[in-house]
Order: sequence, then structure tokens, then C-alpha cells
Amino acid sequence: MSTKDPKEKIELLQGTLDLLILRTLLLGPTHGHAIARAIEVNSDDVLQVEQGSLYPALHRLIKRGWISMEAGTSENNRRANLYRLTAKGRKQLALETSKWDKLAGAIARILRPAEPEGGS
Amino acid sequence: MLQDLDQDIRDHLEKETRDNIDRGMPPAEARYAALRKFGNVTRVTEETRDLWSFVWLEQLFQDVRFGFRMLCKSPGFTAIAVLTLALGIGANTAIFTMVNALLLHPYDFRDLDRMAILWQDAGSDASVDSRYIAPADAADIAAHANVFDSMATYRCHSFTLTGASEAQPVNGCGVSANFFDFLGVAPALGRSFTPSEQEAGLETVTIVGYGFWQRQLGGDPNAIGKSIQLNGRAYTVVGIMPVDFNFPVPMQLWVPLALAPADRADRTRLSIQAIARLKDGVNAGQARAALAGFSARLAASYPNTDTRRRATLIPLRRELYQYTLPLFSLLQIAAGFVLLLACANLANLLFARMAGRQKQIAMRAALGASRRRLAQHFVSETILFSLIAGIAAVFFSFWTVKLLRTSISPDWTKWVPGWNGIRVDTPVLGFTIGLAVIVGAVFGLAALYHAGRVDLNQTLKEGGPGSMTRARARLRGALVVVQVMFALVLLVCAGVTIQGFHRLANVYAGFHPETVVKFEPVLPASSYSDATKIASFYRQLLQQTAALPGVTAAAVVGNPPASNVESDTTSFAVEGQPSSRRDEEPSADLQIVSSDYFLVLRIDVLSGRAFSDADNAGAPRVALVSRSMAGKFWPHADAIGQHIQLTNPGSASSWLTIVGVVDDVRQNWWDSLTQPTIYQPMLQAPERGLELLLRANANPVGYVSSVRAIIRQLDSMVAVTGVSSFDHQVNDSIGIVRIMGILMGVFGGLALALSAVGVYGVLSESVAQRTREIGIRVALGALPGDVRRLVLWSALKLTGIGLAIAVPVSLGVNRAMASLVFGIVSIDFGVIAAFTAVLVLVALAACYIPARRAMRVDPIIALRYE
Repeated sequence: MSTKDPKEKIELLQGTLDLLILRTLLLGPTHGHAIARAIEVNSDDVLQVEQGSLYPALHRLIKRGWISMEAGTSENNRRANLYRLTAKGRKQLALETSKWDKLAGAIARILRPAEPEGGS
Repeated sequence: MLQDLDQDIRDHLEKETRDNIDRGMPPAEARYAALRKFGNVTRVTEETRDLWSFVWLEQLFQDVRFGFRMLCKSPGFTAIAVLTLALGIGANTAIFTMVNALLLHPYDFRDLDRMAILWQDAGSDASVDSRYIAPADAADIAAHANVFDSMATYRCHSFTLTGASEAQPVNGCGVSANFFDFLGVAPALGRSFTPSEQEAGLETVTIVGYGFWQRQLGGDPNAIGKSIQLNGRAYTVVGIMPVDFNFPVPMQLWVPLALAPADRADRTRLSIQAIARLKDGVNAGQARAALAGFSARLAASYPNTDTRRRATLIPLRRELYQYTLPLFSLLQIAAGFVLLLACANLANLLFARMAGRQKQIAMRAALGASRRRLAQHFVSETILFSLIAGIAAVFFSFWTVKLLRTSISPDWTKWVPGWNGIRVDTPVLGFTIGLAVIVGAVFGLAALYHAGRVDLNQTLKEGGPGSMTRARARLRGALVVVQVMFALVLLVCAGVTIQGFHRLANVYAGFHPETVVKFEPVLPASSYSDATKIASFYRQLLQQTAALPGVTAAAVVGNPPASNVESDTTSFAVEGQPSSRRDEEPSADLQIVSSDYFLVLRIDVLSGRAFSDADNAGAPRVALVSRSMAGKFWPHADAIGQHIQLTNPGSASSWLTIVGVVDDVRQNWWDSLTQPTIYQPMLQAPERGLELLLRANANPVGYVSSVRAIIRQLDSMVAVTGVSSFDHQVNDSIGIVRIMGILMGVFGGLALALSAVGVYGVLSESVAQRTREIGIRVALGALPGDVRRLVLWSALKLTGIGLAIAVPVSLGVNRAMASLVFGIVSIDFGVIAAFTAVLVLVALAACYIPARRAMRVDPIIALRYE
């Protein structure tokens, strides 16, 4: 389980799970459990995903054509599905990322107006 | 995809469990922690599945199955609900079959909505039958007015077909070569006309109608190329039109409209008819404005002929709607009222049913059914039974269509464009199903809204519904009020329509039409161009037919009453009453009649004298006027001895002396009785195309062969058509009014029945609910009379409120109808009073049983009941 104090854990903002899945898959195709783990580990266990909610999100992305699913095998040689980023998904990720940057920047400026912009 | 999901989830959980074990948890706890972290597996699976499947469809099937079970469980409710709705929807479907055929698809023409009838007038109103245009002006407008894509011209007249045993008249129409292309209707067999066939001398080709082909050419598939004799010339058949082609009016054949170069360049006479297609994006108003501007240019260029002449147009649809639209709007509205009444009844039933199911709803809500899910559940149940009702309505409408089509004579209906299209087709089915679905959806949502305010706690507890009763009682009271209101309005509409129909029948009954027979001798234009010759033919015809044994009188007339044809109108000047401007000249119907006309139709001569044979071409010119005309122009003086001058364009007559006043006659059912009419004696104003009327002592049909023989002997080139008993003509002419009367009667009857059932339903339930209260009253000493009064009072109170609203409303509707429906309906307080009384009686009858039940309430049982 996570090593962080529960108080430091953050519920995911609505819609950001999709973004995180796409970002994780940018590193290469992988299966469901690995995606959940990657999100937790890469965020230093700050972000908490209710792991179940990953699957509706994955299927939603498949439906939109942003990722694809293919049969593969997991480390223990059992059948497991690999999720792979599609070209369309790659474009979407770029779009969403820049959107997110803008949003985060804007919110940061509002919350800390005194700080010089893009401070060294 | 979804099998993979289960696999994925299993795999995920296994990995998480192993990770947990690696972190040092005992295996059982590791598994549990993995599950906890994953969340609710079932919910995740369902949520993912929802993404892929048409869940709503699955749920719909569930709901429909459930709804079906519910309907089967209470067959009584189902039967009543379906029957009520089927009547309501069926009434609308029946009317819609007519609206669909007659208003929406009167013709199968390309771009019907852009077509317009084009004509010129000299300032005064042109009646429907006198919309003509000068050929050269029409050509200029087509070429230069810039608002039309194309234009077709035509001129209809009658031909005489010879070659068979006896000369026969046929209705024909000379049409421009582009006529069929323009309308977008090709001959079913053969070809249409070519431009070269419009040249005078080359026009001896004809396209025949389906009926003509069947009857005259024996339906011969090789009829193309055959020759027929029309007006003594041989015409080659080049095409056969489809069965339902009947433009501009039902025609037996079409020939090219071949105008000699002089006629083509003619501007003096308005001699042809024109139909044009507006350019895409040009509306009727813009086209009218353009025509007005163009008329001014024509007037400037050709001052001798075109001054004061104004070209205008009416969209083809509008022209067709002139008489049918008000009629069918009225019927459709009435049918809508029937549906509303049916819905009010059904709402009552449904609310009662919902009250019984409140627990079920509350249970579903408590178990987590969302509002949307509940709505879907109820809506699919109500749509289910309204669809069943819709299907019943479709079957019902097959029957009404058959009734409609068989109950009016084809002699009349052939003049109604689209009548043959009255059938249950896709738009009708769509309308019915659409209506059923809408009604069902509204009911489902209303029922849910009603039930949605249920307090879960309150309802799930064993107790009674508490304060719900009061709200529901008020709602049901409102429904009764609305029902009584609709019922009265509908009954009044039905009453005045039926009354109007009877009055009409009686107007014509004044002629005693049953012993009058009508003939239309057709005088060929070629041999009867001369007035004296025409007059002499009719004089001989009248002398010989009047001499037939048993014939009491014979007359000829231009346009007999009940012909469903507008009379010719004429403008005229009154001596001593100069009108300042030409377009303010008064106008009146003009009738050419022979001397015994008033005797044949038994029209009273109120003062002065009728015509006699002495009023001939050599005698002073005389006229008779109708009572309304005399009252309008000489209100304070005697009309007899006054002088008028007919001022038709191009033919100002000499002054006529009025020698008598005759009673008003209603020309057609849509005309007002008080239309001013001028009568001229046939011998002073002979014209071709007069109709012969014979009054006989007995069965007039026996004279048909004698009259035919007389005419054949007078001139074998004169064909006889339109032979019918005048009685039939009168009956056929008001066929549409009769249909309307019957339909309105049916709607009125339905309204009465539905409102009676509705009032009864509400009252009997309210008595049932008040059993305890009544029990207490009886226990405290109320006498049966008091109880009866209590129940009656509550019924009369609701009925009274409904009537209080409905009386002024129905008066307003009555007034609107009187202005809408061509004077056959008049405002009638008697009808309103009578139906108000009927509804009060119905309400009293409806509460008789509940009142009886209330009086027999046993206080002991009532108080224990609870």
C-alpha cells in the first residue's frame, strides 16, 4: 500500500483520469493493473485511483478511438489485455496536455498573484 | 470486449493480491485489501458494459415485458383504457386521412408549393371560375416578369364526340405543349405534346384521360395512334394519362392549345388560363408585387387594352384550400377535443391505478431506481397501451375511410382534388403511431410526476395515503370540470353543424327538387355562334319538352342552384346612383333564365311579374332582381320600374327595366342566401351552355329518352349530358356538409359518452373514499335524503363550474364557426341551452348509482372499515 499519510492523498479531478491513462500509455502498451500502479508510483503516491474506475475509463477511451486493446500475455504468462495508445490518442494527449498546462498556470497565477511569472 | 473485461479484472485483482503479499500481508487479508482498493466489481462491470451496450434497449424490453404483465393482470382497466384511447386516436386518424389526402397531397405535382394560378382582372374581384388572362400579356409576363421559372396555359371547353351511335359531349382542355412537363406528370402510355403541335392546323392530336380510355376506347392497350372524331375533325390519340390525373378539373381529354398568330398577339380578351411556377426563393407576396409593377408597364405600353388591368396570382394550394381548409380545420379540432376528452377520462383511471401502486413505486425508489429509470418504466407502460390503442385506431380508420369513400357520389367527389387519395397510407400510419406515442409519453410522465411526490417514508409505512387524498380529489375534480367543458363545446359545435345541415337541406327542399330532372344540351360553338340561332334552338326545345304529357313546366337556366359552380357575376350601374369610381361599381350574380324558370323551381315572385315569351329580342329590355338586391339598392323605394345597366368589360348593355322581384335563392351551400342576383330573360340574352330543367307530375326519369329524342331531332350535333334528377344534384352538392354533419354528430355522441363515463368514475370513487365520512354522518343521524343531497351536490358543483366556463367558450366557438363555415352555421342560443341541460341530466344520471350506494352505507361497517 502507499507510504504517504492519507491526508496528503488527493482525489482525482473529474476527467483527469483519462489524461493520466493516455500519458502512461505514451511509454508503451501495458495492461490495466500496471497503469494503475504507474499512476500511483509516478505521482509519488499522491494521486489515489480507485482501481475499479480505471476500467470504465479504459473502455470509454477505446470507444473514442484514442487507445486500442489487444490480447497479450502478462509476466506470469497468463492471458491479459494490453492497452495501446493510437495515433488519434497521441494527438488528443498533446491537446489535453497543453490545455492542462494552461489551466494549471492560470489557476496558479490566480492563487499566487505576487509571484513573478515564470520566475527563475 | 466484455469477456476480456472479466479476464482483465480477475488478472488485476490477482496482481494486486500478489503485490500485497509481497508487501508482507497474510494471503487472506491481501485479497481483501485488493478488493477494497478495486471498489465494487459488479458496479465497475456494469458501468463498463453500459458503455458498450444499448442498455436502454434492454431496459425497454424489460419494461415492456413488465408493462405487458401489468396490463394483462388488470384486463378491465386495459380494455377501458385502450377503448377510450382508440376512440380518441381513431377520430383523429379518420380526419387526418382526409386532411392528408385533400390538404397535404391534393396533386402529385412536382413543386406543388411553388405553383400559382395567374390571372388578370379589371379591379373587381374575379370569382374562381373567371380567372383568365390575355394570351399576349401572359407571354410577356412569362418572358419578362422575372419571378417565374415557367408557365403553362390552358383553356377548357367541351367537345362533341361523334362517330359512336350518338353525339356525345366530352370535357376537354386545350393545353400548351409544356403543360404536362410543367406539372411533372407524364402520360401513363404514349407521349405528351410537342411544341410544333401548338401551331394552328397541326393540333389534331389528343391525350385522353384514363376514364375516356376505359369507356370510349374499351381500355385498348393499342389505342395509341387511333383516331377519334371531335367537333367533326379527326384527332389522333397520342397518349393516355394516369388514372388520378384531373387537372385543372376532371377532364376526359386534352388537346394542344393551338392559337392562331392573331389570337396569340391578342390583348383585348382575357381568354386563356395560366399556371406558373415561382422561382425558387420567391414567395407569393413578392411575385404579386412584381406582377403589379409589370401590370403598370403593360398599361403604359398598351393603354388601349391594358389600362386598369391588373395581373395577380394565388398559390395553387391556397386556391384549393379556400373551401376545404376551414372545414377540415374544424373537423380536426373537433377530433382533437374528442381525444382530449378521452385523455381526461384516461387520466382519471390512471391516477386511480397509480394510487394503488404507490407502494410499488416507493419500493423501487428506495431500492435505488433513479428518477429517469422510473420515468422510463412508466412511460413504456403507458406507451404500450396507447400503441395498442393506436393499432386499434388504424383498423377503425380503414372502416371510416371505406365509409367516407362510399357515402358520397363520385359525381361530386371527382371535383375534389385528392379525394381518391384518401387511404390509410404511410403518413396516416405515422400520424397515428406518433399521436399514440405522444399521448402515452405524456401520460407516463404525468403519472410519474403525480407519483413522484410520494413521501417514501409515509408510503412505505403501513398507514394510509394521508394528505394525498385531498390533492388527488382536487385534481380529479379539475378533470371533471375540464371534461364537462370540452363536452359542452363539442356538443354545441356538433349541434350547430347538424342544424346547419338540416337548414341547408330545407333551403333546397323549397324547390321540391324530387320531381325535377336536369339535362345539359351541349351546343357546338361552330354551328351556334349566332344569338338568334341559340335562342331559336332553346325556344323550340322548351316548346316541345313542355308539351310532353305529364310535364308541368320546362325552363333553361345558366346555373341552377346546388350546382357547386359559382354563378357568373356582373358589375352594373344603377340609374340615379352613380358610383364615383369604376372599381366601386356594385356587382351581382347574373342568371339567364327562360320564362318558366320560377315556376319550375317554385321560386316565389314577390312583386311585379315573371318573364313571359313576350320578353323577346324585339321587346324592351327587362330584368328581375332578387329580394336582397331590391332591398340593398332601393331600400326606400319600389325596385320595379328602376333601371340598371350591366357593365361587363367590353359589353355595356342597354338599360334594363326591372319588372319584378323574386325571392332569394341560395346558389350553393357555401354562398350566402342574400347574394344579390339579376335575372335576364333567355330570349333577350341567349347564350350557349344553358341547362334544361323539367318539372313533371311523377317520376321524372321516365322523360329522359323522350327529351333525348327531341334534341336529336332538333339537331343531331347537339349532345346531351348531365342528365340527373335535380334531387340527386341537391343531395350530392351538400355531400361534404352531410359528411361533416355525420362526423360532428359522431364526435358529439362520443363527447357525451366519454364525459358521462368520466363524471361517473370520479363520483363513484369519491363516494367510496367518503364511505367513512358518510358512515359517521349516518351514525350522527343524517337521513338518506341528506346523504343523497351531499353526493348530488358535489356532482352538480363540478358540473356547474365546468358549464359556467364552457357556456361563454362555446358561444365564442360558435361565433368563430359561423364566420368560418360559410354561413351554414349560425349562432344559436337554443342549442347551447339544450346541451347545457343535457349535460346536467347526464351528470345527474352518472351520480345516481354512487348516490344510491352512499345512501345504503351501513355506519357500523363503514366505521369498522379502515
